Amino acid sequence: MNTSVKDTMESTFAGWTETVGNAMLEGEARMSTRNTDVFYGDKQAIFGVDLDIGKNEVLAMIGPSGCGKSTFLRTLNRMNDTIDICKIKGEILLDGENIYDKNMDVVSLRARVGMVFQKPNPFPKSIYDNVAYGPRIHGLVSRRAELDEVVETALRKASIWDEVKDRLDQPATGLSGGQQQRLCIARTIAVSPEVILMDEPCSALDPIATARIEELIAELSENYTIAIVTHSMQQAARVSTRTAYFHLGRLIEVGSTDKIFTAPDHKLTEDYITGRFG
Amino acid sequence: MTDQNLNAIERMAMVKQERMAAKLGKRYAKEKRFQAYGIVSIVIGLSFLAMLLGTIFTAGFSTFYATEIRLTVTYDQELLGVADMNDESQLAFANWGALVKNALAERFPDVSGRSARRQLNSLVSSVAEYDLKDRLEAHPELLGTTEEIWLMADDEIDALMKKQIDRDAPESERRLNDFQISLVDSLIESGELKTAFNTTFFTNGDSREPEQAGIRGAMIGSFFTLLVTLVLSFPIGVSAAIYLEEFAPKNRFTEIIEVNINNLAAVPSIVFGLLGLAVFINVFHLPRSAPVVGGLVLTLMTLPTIIISSRSAIKAVPPSIREAALGLGASRVQMVLHHVLPLAMPGMLTGTIIGMAQALGETAPLLMIGMVAFIADVPGTPLDPSTVLPVQIFLWSDLPERAFVAKTSGAIMVLLGFLAIMNLFAVFLRRKFEQRW
Ligand SMILES: Nc1ncnc2c1ncn2[C@@H]1O[C@H](COP(=O)(O)OP(=O)(O)OP(=O)(O)O)[C@@H](O)[C@H]1O
Ligand SMILES: [Mg+2]
Repeated sequence: MNTSVKDTMESTFAGWTETVGNAMLEGEARMSTRNTDVFYGDKQAIFGVDLDIGKNEVLAMIGPSGCGKSTFLRTLNRMNDTIDICKIKGEILLDGENIYDKNMDVVSLRARVGMVFQKPNPFPKSIYDNVAYGPRIHGLVSRRAELDEVVETALRKASIWDEVKDRLDQPATGLSGGQQQRLCIARTIAVSPEVILMDEPCSALDPIATARIEELIAELSENYTIAIVTHSMQQAARVSTRTAYFHLGRLIEVGSTDKIFTAPDHKLTEDYITGRFG
Repeated sequence: MTDQNLNAIERMAMVKQERMAAKLGKRYAKEKRFQAYGIVSIVIGLSFLAMLLGTIFTAGFSTFYATEIRLTVTYDQELLGVADMNDESQLAFANWGALVKNALAERFPDVSGRSARRQLNSLVSSVAEYDLKDRLEAHPELLGTTEEIWLMADDEIDALMKKQIDRDAPESERRLNDFQISLVDSLIESGELKTAFNTTFFTNGDSREPEQAGIRGAMIGSFFTLLVTLVLSFPIGVSAAIYLEEFAPKNRFTEIIEVNINNLAAVPSIVFGLLGLAVFINVFHLPRSAPVVGGLVLTLMTLPTIIISSRSAIKAVPPSIREAALGLGASRVQMVLHHVLPLAMPGMLTGTIIGMAQALGETAPLLMIGMVAFIADVPGTPLDPSTVLPVQIFLWSDLPERAFVAKTSGAIMVLLGFLAIMNLFAVFLRRKFEQRW
């Protein structure tokens, strides 16, 4: 990083007041965060983020490494609860309910807000059992035939059905990386979440597998709300409708993807998308 | 271009070939030396093992066969001196020895005189008469009849047959005199003396008579003790490990617990024996010398091993699997039961079997709780007084009779056999439960 950029950053941060663009939506939002701070021990990783995620929209989150994208995404389904030192302040709402409320059951929250991880992480069980696991533990189906149908539908939606339909009882760990990731998406869809969070879902995949997953995201956006973290600007441009730019734990700018990639308002956003740093 | 114009890397590159070649020879020599060290230490280790096993096998092998003598026994009520054959108490005091003596006298009618008779009678084990008692009790219809039966020979005869007594030595230096040897020879000639697989060794409890002493009591005692240990220590150890690893908050208190578990693993086992004596026997009044108490003591001893190995097995489960389960909405308990536990199971089982193998060979703490007593009966329940294999070995190794030397080694062989079986079982379980990811 050269000195001039550093200067820009520091001067920007000294005068940083609020997020540029339309972080808050006019209509109804599926999820919204209000003045959210996240701390790891004494270290603050997220600073006062206000952001809405609308129904059936694909929100891309971009920003330089270490800016807190994963941290922010993980607060949305309370995956950060598993980290002892992680503390969250502010409000995070799902359909108007605070998900960090004492009465909120984290198990049913995660059934409503599903997550796909950066590295494909299938269970070392059969392909069928991977997809059937969610419906089973939540008791969503009562008969085997019904479960079979759910598994098939989920695998079809994740466009992997044709590749695995003859080997459902074989271990999922025998699939290729791209297939595994699509299986993980199928597994997430099988509990029919309202929101799907994806943390760099294509970072371990080749361009062909990536293209398939991007197609998949486009299809899924008809029924689901999707928030996706990505390092690929092209990917953000291809799949998302809105884009949020994070920088050092702050939400700098939010806007329609077209606008962010063609005419960003903030200097930092512009620097990042034009590749001047990051 | 002169040397001065070159930078450090370029200068190095010019001499790279020869320098590397010079170094290469050394590197290969070092590698060869390193391999040689490894091979030498393995050879040393193996030769010690071979020596150990060799001595044990040569010393112990003879205990697996025994000498038997065929006699024609008449189940004579008069000889027994019993009025009522259905009276248990009369049977117990009947003169069973007379049957044996009578049979021997009939086989060697020429032997006369008190001393010669006594030497004749000493051919057969002094406890063989109880075999006759057992047989007649099992088959009352044999009373009054005559049958040929193989009876156990005395341990001196057995030693002669196993060449542990040198028949060419001068008579005064032999445990058997010429007359006894002539009797044995005539029995051998007529095929009335044979060596057979020593089933007694596996069916009898301990005895003062070496030819009658067996390891069944110790084997059953070890089995009950290990059963109690396994039933207690596996569930307790695994749940403790799961709780500490997955649920316990990380604070000062759990840290102290963790350190102390590691400390406990290093406590000398005899201390657990003293603890068992003080708590289980003196406070809770559990029976002395019983496998339950042995099992409880060994549970205390094995728990740290099981907890530590289970925790490292749990730690080795990749976090991504946990996240996958939690991300789908599994509760923590579901995550542990459905994913962590199956993946950690091979490691947990290995740790448990290592702990069990340790417990099987443990002697010192069991001496403390009285399992060292002489017990001839084979225990029927974990509450009966009993001994265990290593303690039996310890007891026999202390006895002066020659036959017990072989028995000691024989018992060691049985113990080693069990250890090998347990380790094979561990390998089998690991294979069976292993899952790849
Ligand atoms: N478990 C943790 N404990 C302590 N600090 C953490 C932890 N996880 C993340 N951090 C810190 O929080 C900050 C944000 O990390 P985060 O993983 O959210 O970044 P990111 O934007 O996802 O980066 P990347 O693009 O490289 O994935 C970083 O400074 C990181 O060091
Ligand atoms: Mg990240």
